[in-house]
Amino acid sequence: MKYHLPLTHPLLQTVDISVTLSGLKILDEVSIGIPEGSVTGLIGPNGAGKTTVFNVISGFVKPDSGKVKFDGKRLRHIKTHQLTKMGISRTLQGVGLFPSMSALENVMLGASVQARSGIVSNALAMPWVDAQQRRIREHAEAVMAELGVLEDAHRFPGDVPYPVQKRIALARALVSDPKVLLLDEPAGGISAGDMADLGRLIRSWVPERTVLLVEHHMELVMGVCDLIWVLDAGKVIAAGSPEEVRNDPAVLAAYLGEEVDV
Amino acid sequence: MTFFDHLLGGIASGSVIALMAIALVLVWRSTRVVNFAQVGQAMFTTFLALAVYRGTGNWLISLIAAILAGAILGLIVHFLVMRPVRRQDGSGAIIATFGVLIALQASASMIWGVDPQAYPPIVDIIGFEAFGRTWPFSRYDVLVLGVTVLLVLLLSVVFTRTSLGLRMRASAFNPTVARLSGVRVSQMLALGWALAGSIGAIAGVLIAPTFSVTPYSFDILLILAFTVAVIGGLDSLVGAVAFGIGTGLVLSLVSGYSDSGNASIVALVLLALNLLLKPEGVFAHHHSRSV
Repeated sequence: MKYHLPLTHPLLQTVDISVTLSGLKILDEVSIGIPEGSVTGLIGPNGAGKTTVFNVISGFVKPDSGKVKFDGKRLRHIKTHQLTKMGISRTLQGVGLFPSMSALENVMLGASVQARSGIVSNALAMPWVDAQQRRIREHAEAVMAELGVLEDAHRFPGDVPYPVQKRIALARALVSDPKVLLLDEPAGGISAGDMADLGRLIRSWVPERTVLLVEHHMELVMGVCDLIWVLDAGKVIAAGSPEEVRNDPAVLAAYLGEEVDV
Repeated sequence: MTFFDHLLGGIASGSVIALMAIALVLVWRSTRVVNFAQVGQAMFTTFLALAVYRGTGNWLISLIAAILAGAILGLIVHFLVMRPVRRQDGSGAIIATFGVLIALQASASMIWGVDPQAYPPIVDIIGFEAFGRTWPFSRYDVLVLGVTVLLVLLLSVVFTRTSLGLRMRASAFNPTVARLSGVRVSQMLALGWALAGSIGAIAGVLIAPTFSVTPYSFDILLILAFTVAVIGGLDSLVGAVAFGIGTGLVLSLVSGYSDSGNASIVALVLLALNLLLKPEGVFAHHHSRSV
């Protein structure tokens, strides 16, 4: 059975996406919608295909069939480097920070999409590059301050605790001022206290931004999401409010035998 | 000749080795390929610059021609050879650079012949006179050293102080994360090849007056620059400069106290020792590459 939920205004949408990787059907006609200004969760047991959905949206994986729509328009031949310019920003599982760059440089990289100066003027270190560089740095510092990691700006990722690294990665995703944030397990490896802070932080971004969240920690998902999609073995098996999903027999069956920290 | 004289005589050649090593480092950083064709590209652009010099009589114009030709040749090699090859197989790319080297040398032999040609220096190549003697350090050596220092400073500023440098470093380290951060990685890789081509071309024009230019006379520079880049850690501009100049000094001592033919043997011994004792390179970053 294909699961469809009527959505009034999805900002981001997958329509009947199917993906086969080395002979295995990873996604089977997956259609999910992320309403504008919402926090939407994407959950499911291990191997359900959650990250693959992210990878299709990010242009890492080309689907066999189906389409991705953003703001009502179909995205064809998604080029990963154009996502931030379109207003879509993604974090990776883990942190994905550059260890040889300072925290500030990592965040500034996310803002460099705003850099308008050309290669030649950069190479010659022209004065206007300096002014632009200062704007990028100030913006990066402001976002870091917002996330409470400004004091770590000049330290290297390897020298700060893991939860701080996660925050720096979030700052890098936020600094391009995205309309949509795709968060891949933002709570991985952080403590319960930090998780509550993270939940409040995510809620503070809506409705200005729209969030799609892949997460194992049910407490966080149930606490912050307006809408939850449930994947199992590459198919959408349920969708609805946290309350509806929690009591859905199909969801309970899918998670049977899985360790769930509810 | 005193010990000090030999050291002084090694600075300029060390600078040129450093420049060539920087070119190798830039390509390694952008595409994780050791470009054995780099000296071939430099040889080719030096011949082009020589032709421009003979046509215009202006040394500076010939240098600018070499810089432009170096960038264009770097892009040609990157787009016509490296990109298609890399799509098939990563290690094939390194072998392909040898193919490019041989092709460039063969083409140069056909176009300009194999007879040695002289590239006139822009300034005096005879050593300074002071305290009643001639020192093994000339105006030309000052020029070479100055250009090297200037280029290294410029590159450092670009890499550490501009968003372009940030994007180039990010592309080299983790293309996937760089793309997610909005970096056009393919553009950065091409830029790395162009930049390396230009710097190699400058090195070629600078060293040309100190020996006769033939399609094969740059080969020794390949051995030396490769040694220096590997010892420096392949990733490190600082390593390339430090060991480039250091190697120049060592080789000058070797040539001075024994025979200049021993220089390349000493370089290879240094390389072997380095690979035995510290294979990751002296200046390499020790961070793991996982994310």
